[in-house]
Amino acid sequence: MYEDTVGVLDQFRRDAALSHGELWLRYFELGGMSTGFQLEAYLYGALLPSQHDHNVIAHALNERFSELGGNHPVPYEDD
Amino acid sequence: MHPPEQPLTDFFISASFEGDVAVLALAGEVDIVTSPEFSAFFDTLLARGHYSVVLDLAGLYFMDASGLAVIADGAARLERVGGTLVIRTPTPMIEEVLRITGFTRLVRVEVGPEVGPKEWVRSGLRQFSALRSEDEVLDGALRMAVSLASALVGGADGASVSLRRHGRLSTVAASDRTIASMDASQYETGEGPCIDASVEGRWFHAEILGSETRWPAFTPQARALGINAILSSPLLVEDRPVGALNIYSLSASAFSPEDRELAATFAAEASAILADAATSEGDEARGQLTIRFQGALRAREVIAQAQGVLMEREGLAEEEAYSALRRFSQGNGTPLQERALDIVTSTRRARPGGADV
Repeated sequence: MYEDTVGVLDQFRRDAALSHGELWLRYFELGGMSTGFQLEAYLYGALLPSQHDHNVIAHALNERFSELGGNHPVPYEDD
Repeated sequence: MHPPEQPLTDFFISASFEGDVAVLALAGEVDIVTSPEFSAFFDTLLARGHYSVVLDLAGLYFMDASGLAVIADGAARLERVGGTLVIRTPTPMIEEVLRITGFTRLVRVEVGPEVGPKEWVRSGLRQFSALRSEDEVLDGALRMAVSLASALVGGADGASVSLRRHGRLSTVAASDRTIASMDASQYETGEGPCIDASVEGRWFHAEILGSETRWPAFTPQARALGINAILSSPLLVEDRPVGALNIYSLSASAFSPEDRELAATFAAEASAILADAATSEGDEARGQLTIRFQGALRAREVIAQAQGVLMEREGLAEEEAYSALRRFSQGNGTPLQERALDIVTSTRRARPGGADV
């Protein structure tokens, strides 16, 4: 469901114990091109990220989950 | 696992790139606590050779003298290396602050909406605060105090700040050369309201220099430059006088009781800047942030290089190359950066030394 995706990324961020600033830095490190505001808007579902951006965010979160000993729970968009 | 939401201070900075232009986006408040982080990002961009910088201030609703000092410093450094600094979409209040402090002449400002009239006067006083301890930046804040005092105190034609450093008074900020020479005449003659305020730690008001008798050597020099009234307020750190804020006027009896009160407020704020600078910490946090941001920029470059290698070697488009890196990382549990570094270094090794130049 479309509604289910709203804020889902932000829930992952909280589960990963990352502040918005920390997540942005990781996203930026991985080559992300958006500012912190744009990233927040993606997380809350206020803006729709491009497929590429979505995957960079998902990967930043997944690498964090790996560091915490978990798997990669954040789904990527098909490409 | 839900950690408490943490913002201690309401400030957030992030970067992005528009072609060769680095865009630093600021949100919230830049003040003594957060300006080191702002400064660290700026330093890092410059250190990495990004000389076209845009500051996007759309989300910033408060900036004090320490933030202005970071911008002034950044603009000066960029100018030296032939770079450019543009401020984009400040809020009306911050735009007004930039205007009255002369920043609009220093930096190109791309404005957003229409400027509101009077709000900023009240908050203008909040434009001071404290800073980290480096003298340069401190002087920047004091210069800001001087330009705001000359702009906001009615009757003021110029202002300066004198400080005792290494046992003698010197002018650390002055609104123009005449004002600086007014201070200098006082140091030379050893008398004047600035000296007295700095030594005795109380106010000295020369309301009408024409009938002034307290400083016979200095007064004629001031009048020769057209000065007719002076108001010197002491700067105090831990109740000890350390200098003075001097406001000069071409007109006798220029300062109303309200002006004197405003001058007192400025002197108190300048004192607070000095006191905070004396106890400022935060350089360490700033260093850590700089290192993290530097690392992030470096990591991006490695990833971009690896993408380039894959694009060339596998004939992939840019985002396809990224996806290939990402899928490898996902499948092997190798961090993407590590994979990118492997690709870049193995390519360097494989290439016969300089043969293809």
